[in-house]
Amino acid sequence: MGSRQITEKSLAMLRSLPRISLANLRDNPGAKKNTKRGRGQHGGDKHGAGNKGSGQRMNYMRLGYETGNNPFYLRMPHEPYYKGHHLRRQYPPLSLHALQSLIDKNCVDVTIPIDISTLVKSGFYNFFPDQKHFGVNLTDEGADIFAAKINIEVQWASEQVIAAVERNGGVITTAYYDPHSLFLLKDPKKFFQSGQAIPRRMIPPPDAIEYYTSAENRGYLADPEKISQERLKLSQKYGYTLPNLENEPQYTMLCERKDPRQIFYGLEPGWVVNLKDECILKPKDKELQDFYAS
Amino acid sequence: MATVWRSQCTFTRILSGKTCRILNNAADLGSKLSPTSQSVTSRKYSNYAHSPLVKHIKEQYEFEVVKKPPEWTYVQRLLPFDTIPQVTPKESYPSGWIPPKDEAKNLPFFIERTRNHELPIYLDITFRGMRKVSAIRKIEGDIWLMNDEVKEYLKNKYCRYVETRVHELGGFIEVKGDFVNALRW
Repeated sequence: MGSRQITEKSLAMLRSLPRISLANLRDNPGAKKNTKRGRGQHGGDKHGAGNKGSGQRMNYMRLGYETGNNPFYLRMPHEPYYKGHHLRRQYPPLSLHALQSLIDKNCVDVTIPIDISTLVKSGFYNFFPDQKHFGVNLTDEGADIFAAKINIEVQWASEQVIAAVERNGGVITTAYYDPHSLFLLKDPKKFFQSGQAIPRRMIPPPDAIEYYTSAENRGYLADPEKISQERLKLSQKYGYTLPNLENEPQYTMLCERKDPRQIFYGLEPGWVVNLKDECILKPKDKELQDFYAS
Repeated sequence: MATVWRSQCTFTRILSGKTCRILNNAADLGSKLSPTSQSVTSRKYSNYAHSPLVKHIKEQYEFEVVKKPPEWTYVQRLLPFDTIPQVTPKESYPSGWIPPKDEAKNLPFFIERTRNHELPIYLDITFRGMRKVSAIRKIEGDIWLMNDEVKEYLKNKYCRYVETRVHELGGFIEVKGDFVNALRW
């Protein structure tokens, strides 16, 4: 029987058959999966899991386990390079390339100073203060393509990153926040709605003080004069001309910094923000003012 | 006898300290009270016994309420976006992001951007990394023509046949293998 006959026969059959309707529609074969697992004569046996062992019990061996042998990872003597790693401060990374794409897509406004709350607000960066995350580490991936003039405050930055930001006429500061302040920065709206007064930012722990007071790292506790010296030094090292900050049109924006006790830009510790009535409560008591200034 | 007296004193001291913690409960404390209120500023004493008793604590502080102060802009910039911001046209995009082109609307097929202004091209890795499938989603228009073009493009680029799957109703094409970077640029 030739294919032509088949076609003609099928067409003839189609003509005689009833039209497709809801009454004679059915699922494709195999489209529906039975949720029940038959026992015994109703499709019992192994159910595709094979005979005995890992396949049936899903007890896949843990990584590195060699069925009773002394495992490879335990054969060598212990060298504790990473001792206490679960207690160290962590800084989830954000690359300069990712930051540039945020700026290109208008998720980050470069006309105002950028801090970690801006990055979280953009929706492309997140961190968890309760998991020992102490802020953002700005990494140097995409340092060559980075071309934005920004005033950014991060928690950790390498020399290349500092050079990439300052080459474009920007300003970078590394600042420490204690976990409580980081919770506020992560979700400021939630904090304002709680009706509490903005607390003070705590000073860094002893092992972080050195980092945040050194001008090479652009620490927020460093001497500003030393920082300007280091800016010049770095420009000579990487071979770019440092733009003069005083002549910039955005000079006031680029010079905006937080007080070491301040958590949010422009809002002082002790203030209560009322989002509903759009008002700010500022303490007048001498006692409170002294407390928040200390 | 002296020790007993002393221990009684300590007892009263602890008790009074405890009652003092309850705010404005100073009236029933007796002799050890002074009218001055306790400061909230903390000071470290060498010994707990040397520290003064907790006295009257102020409940109400005076606040200056400022409606819509100039600092309100700082509050507004902290609040989350209502919607994802629109991209304003710029001369260049250093990150390599490409804005959607107007002439693309006249082509036989069209790929809509995601809500984050990105191309809807994804990689699906399943079976413990054994199967990799690249998917192009949000396709409108002639999907079969696009399928032919994608096949042709990947065949020329990698010099091998690539398997694709077209879902006309769902508006997506799946390509077997990791071709995400090739399809994106």
